[in-house]
Amino acid sequence: MSALFRPMARPDLERLAPFDTELSDHDRPDALSVPWSRPAPEPTRSKRWSARWISVATIIVVLAAWALTAALGIVSPVFLPSPAAVAARFVSVTTEGFVDSTLLEHLGVSLARVFAALIASLIVGVPVGIAIGMSTVGRGIFDPLLEFLRPIPPLAYMPLIIIWFGIGEPSKVLVIAIAMLAPIALSAAAGVKGVNRERINAARSLGATRRQVLAHVVLPSALPSILTGLRIALGAGWTTLVAAELIAATQGLGFMIQSAAQFLVTDVVIMGIFVIAGVAFVLEFAIRRIEAVLVPWAGRD
Amino acid sequence: MPTLSLNQVTIRYDGEPRPTIGSTSLTIDTGDFVVLTGRSGCGKTSLLNVAAGFITPSSGTAGIDGRSITTPGADRAVVFQNDALFPWLSARDNVSFALRMRGMPKAERNRRADELLERVRLPKAGGKAVWELSGGMRQRVGLARALAADPDFLLMDEPLGALDALTRERMQTLLLDIWAGANVGVLMVTHGIEEALLLGTRGAVMAPDPGRIVRVIETGFGRRYVAGEPVRSIKADKDFIAGRAELADAIFDGEPA
Repeated sequence: MSALFRPMARPDLERLAPFDTELSDHDRPDALSVPWSRPAPEPTRSKRWSARWISVATIIVVLAAWALTAALGIVSPVFLPSPAAVAARFVSVTTEGFVDSTLLEHLGVSLARVFAALIASLIVGVPVGIAIGMSTVGRGIFDPLLEFLRPIPPLAYMPLIIIWFGIGEPSKVLVIAIAMLAPIALSAAAGVKGVNRERINAARSLGATRRQVLAHVVLPSALPSILTGLRIALGAGWTTLVAAELIAATQGLGFMIQSAAQFLVTDVVIMGIFVIAGVAFVLEFAIRRIEAVLVPWAGRD
Repeated sequence: MPTLSLNQVTIRYDGEPRPTIGSTSLTIDTGDFVVLTGRSGCGKTSLLNVAAGFITPSSGTAGIDGRSITTPGADRAVVFQNDALFPWLSARDNVSFALRMRGMPKAERNRRADELLERVRLPKAGGKAVWELSGGMRQRVGLARALAADPDFLLMDEPLGALDALTRERMQTLLLDIWAGANVGVLMVTHGIEEALLLGTRGAVMAPDPGRIVRVIETGFGRRYVAGEPVRSIKADKDFIAGRAELADAIFDGEPA
């Protein structure tokens, strides 16, 4: 700090001084910097931990209550198999399979459907979102269509999809893709609308053409929002999976659960639910990691 | 030597009883450092935005050597109060943005960006992310980014407004050094009376309702700094003190302080 208060140097010397080292010292957040340049105080550790421990305890209590109910025979194992039975099922379906496929095969087929749907809805949804965000015409055309589509439950439009596209693989993917379309398009639109006006002006005053502004300013600005939409869409798609696999499927997690339910193999049903929940959790985590890598500036700016 | 001129510019928004800017003229030559000052809401930024091509005046003309300004362009690079840097790009890529838009090869524009970062005294910041930089450093990256466009005019909208007082003083001399070393005409908006006096070759005072220039004061203090006189000695000069009072009077127009 003392460097700041030294007597005025001769200006020529002052100009030659590598003001980087000096200034970066004083630029670093300290007692003299403005409040908004200082990092926010860290939340205290004890608080964070206690919330986590409460969650862990809650899960243990729920599992214990389940195990106890099953062990005491309060509910018939046909309706509520024990956690151990479900775990055993997990092992047997993983190794031997259920309805002609192993757990990994069911999972692979389901993931492939969800990701095919995701790619399709990104290809359609992002340009639609950009059109809504950037032009009045785009908003006029796509807004009502999306608002119409958004609240319809997949089970309601599924019959129509079967009539139009049959019972093959495309219909299953389409059902999931429709569920994903609205969150992706609407978040892309929100991202585009939220672009900082000054950044666009800055780019234009640096000689960027309209097309360059779109590619170099609007799209990167909207990326955090698009990724959030993608996260919501994956959730929606995963939720729609079981419905989509009602359509003449022979493989998939949703199909596995439904077949098991028909034969009252409740442990497979419960195991399938856990696998779906677990995969959703892993996907959510993976996308948060992708966000941290792709858009590290989001939320800091 | 291009000249940027605003001729009887008015800006009128629908539904507003009075124009935001009422018939205002201003000329900036290469080598000028024109400082626009005045109370909040008197249209300083609006006038700068006309020069930048961000807004089209309702009447009057804005032009450079007779060519009228209709869009933003790299001949008039802008430095913003809130830096408006691109956070998805590193400091170096922010600086080289204008060069990338022109299709300059990567190696060449990186070299150029590093030179400019050195000029704004951030030789080691090139690889840094924008959010790792402090407010003062971000403004210097913004300045380097504008200079990279090799503009004829540098338009700065309260570039030091968000900085703390100490950083601000450092930045003022940096701006003078940059101005002295570049062949540009500068238009800068500021709230700081001393800043206006120290930096400008000309200080234009605006008043509101409607926004217009009410007073132009020729000042030469920035040139004295460039010629080698220390800032402390300039600020202690009785001419500077008198100028500060004159500028303050013009801004507050006889209102009791």
